[in-house]
Amino acid sequence: MTAESVAEVAARKDDGKVLLELLNISKQFDVKHDGKKAKLSAVDGVSFAVRRGSTVGVVGESGCGKSTLARVITGLHPATDGEMLFNNKQLKGRRGKDVAKAMQMVFQDPHSALNPRATIGESIGFPLKVQGVPKTEIAERVARVIADVGLPAAYSSHYPHQLSGGQRQRVNIARALVVQPDLVVLDEAVSALDKSIQAQVLNLLSDLQDAYGLTYVFISHDLNVVEYVSDEIVVMYLGQVVEHSPANALYERPLHPYSQVLLSSIPNLDPTKSRRDERPDELDGEIPSPINPPSGCRFRTRCPFARDVCAEEAPERVEAEPHHFVACHLYTGKFDAQQPTAV
Amino acid sequence: MSEIVVRRLPAGFGSSASAADRKAGQRLARKFLAVDDGARPQAFWKETGKRFLENKVGVGATLFILLLAGAALIAPWIAPHDPLTGVATDRLQAPFSSGAHILGTDEQGRDLLSRIMYGGRLTLIAAFVPTIAATVIGTAIGITATMMGGWVQTVLMRGMDMLYAFPAVLLAIAVSASLGPSLANALIATSIVSVPPVARVAESATRRVVTKEYVEAAKLSGASPVKVATSQIIPNVLNDIVVYASGLVGVSMLIAASLSFLGLGALPPAPEWGFMLNSMRNSISIAMFNVMLPGFMIFLTSVCFNLASDALREATDSRL
Repeated sequence: MTAESVAEVAARKDDGKVLLELLNISKQFDVKHDGKKAKLSAVDGVSFAVRRGSTVGVVGESGCGKSTLARVITGLHPATDGEMLFNNKQLKGRRGKDVAKAMQMVFQDPHSALNPRATIGESIGFPLKVQGVPKTEIAERVARVIADVGLPAAYSSHYPHQLSGGQRQRVNIARALVVQPDLVVLDEAVSALDKSIQAQVLNLLSDLQDAYGLTYVFISHDLNVVEYVSDEIVVMYLGQVVEHSPANALYERPLHPYSQVLLSSIPNLDPTKSRRDERPDELDGEIPSPINPPSGCRFRTRCPFARDVCAEEAPERVEAEPHHFVACHLYTGKFDAQQPTAV
Repeated sequence: MSEIVVRRLPAGFGSSASAADRKAGQRLARKFLAVDDGARPQAFWKETGKRFLENKVGVGATLFILLLAGAALIAPWIAPHDPLTGVATDRLQAPFSSGAHILGTDEQGRDLLSRIMYGGRLTLIAAFVPTIAATVIGTAIGITATMMGGWVQTVLMRGMDMLYAFPAVLLAIAVSASLGPSLANALIATSIVSVPPVARVAESATRRVVTKEYVEAAKLSGASPVKVATSQIIPNVLNDIVVYASGLVGVSMLIAASLSFLGLGALPPAPEWGFMLNSMRNSISIAMFNVMLPGFMIFLTSVCFNLASDALREATDSRL
């Protein structure tokens, strides 16, 4: 189906250069809703491939399942459905240390991501300790990675509360990198930082990517940041991928109505370039509950173009332009015959 | 900071900026972002120790306990008399009335100072052994319950609640009575009643910690649950548990003394303070001060344990 086709296309195009491949990944949580047991579908049928050495940005508003997706990729939450291929090996069940070594995560909150009772050096060295690396080598590699992220060597014996937010995020990055992973999942890695510090950390990340040949999955709600760092962008809405395309294509010509609204919400300092007048710039209402998602297209309740077909049938993902995938009935060809309906 | 340089990331990863530009910017950025200010590492327990030492009341109480512990430890060398043999003619001498028995004698003519010193051993054992046992067991239960979740948590914590439902002293009496009177059984009983509150404190502290991202990061590194517990969770719940356990020391001592007073703890002729209080009880109208002495010691020691515990609580209360 369409879900596989994305991965297939990516695989064909890159000929074995795909590092991570998600096939129809879903994650449901058991919750209590109105006193009854219910399923909250946080991630629903997500498929995309991440090429080695590239950065895939994942964007969407709060509650769209970005962070759950990050945790499913890294194995903190087991996926309830779907397949995941990493380094051409299927990830299933409890992951071994070899996967832990190859896949790391940088967390959002620099304050809670570091053990307050451990020194910076201990925190960074912990993944190595788990891997069973000898002590002298740990010390050496920790010192090297601390230098890599631009911190003074003396900070190794300091505690997290003695560092600023930006410095702590550097430590988090160092901890992720010390095992020399292939893939780093960055979950809102710069969102908690000041703008100026954000720029520094983003520069650092790009330098490190060049130096170590890292692959990033960069999850953020900040479209400016994602635009700068990403090669490809995945737009998520209510647990589903609505659009997936090269970064410049998305920013130049977003296809999905949701992406259009999302991009028009970026404030533009240049009035002549403002996109406010061209596209719908405001969404009606709140994001619907993932416990009872709307039928058909999940975005239809807030979509200015919604028709009957949107409620009846979930749009399949189509390649509307080369490498530019979108899941919307505007592009499936099922739209023209329908009359507009008020939703 | 006048030289803040914020480079906008060029689209496509620095294709427009030269490598030299980038390196220069990076150097500048690092210079003001992360300067080694020469600050010393601030380890939590070291800082807590410093703050504790600034608390005069806490230090005073601790010194008293250390004094008592020291006296109890070297009692065989410094005690003026044998605590177990008395002289019948010297019964119930008032404190400070004779040079031979500074604190007087009990109803069998045994030197009270010596008995108090030796009794300090039993008291300190009764204070610390159940506390340490309950802390270790309770912490293990609380952390296991929270980390495992599900039915394990339900079984463990509701089991604790069942023990909690009985008043502590009553439960201790019941356990002690069923095991038979002896100091060891009194210690077991005291330990059992102290486990549920420690488990609760450990559970709530663990629940606060277990969702933190550093715990997730540790799991991501491939660490086993035991490794996660020992490296990430215990160091971060320890302060809550230690503060709570320090308050338990005084309580344990009181429960053990109560059990001894009721004849369920130390057996005669052991110089246990609670038991001494009981055996001299009948003489209260003749020698009030002699009878009050063990009671006063129990009171004073218990107060000191609590004052030290409060000081510790204040000392750990920081943003670290």
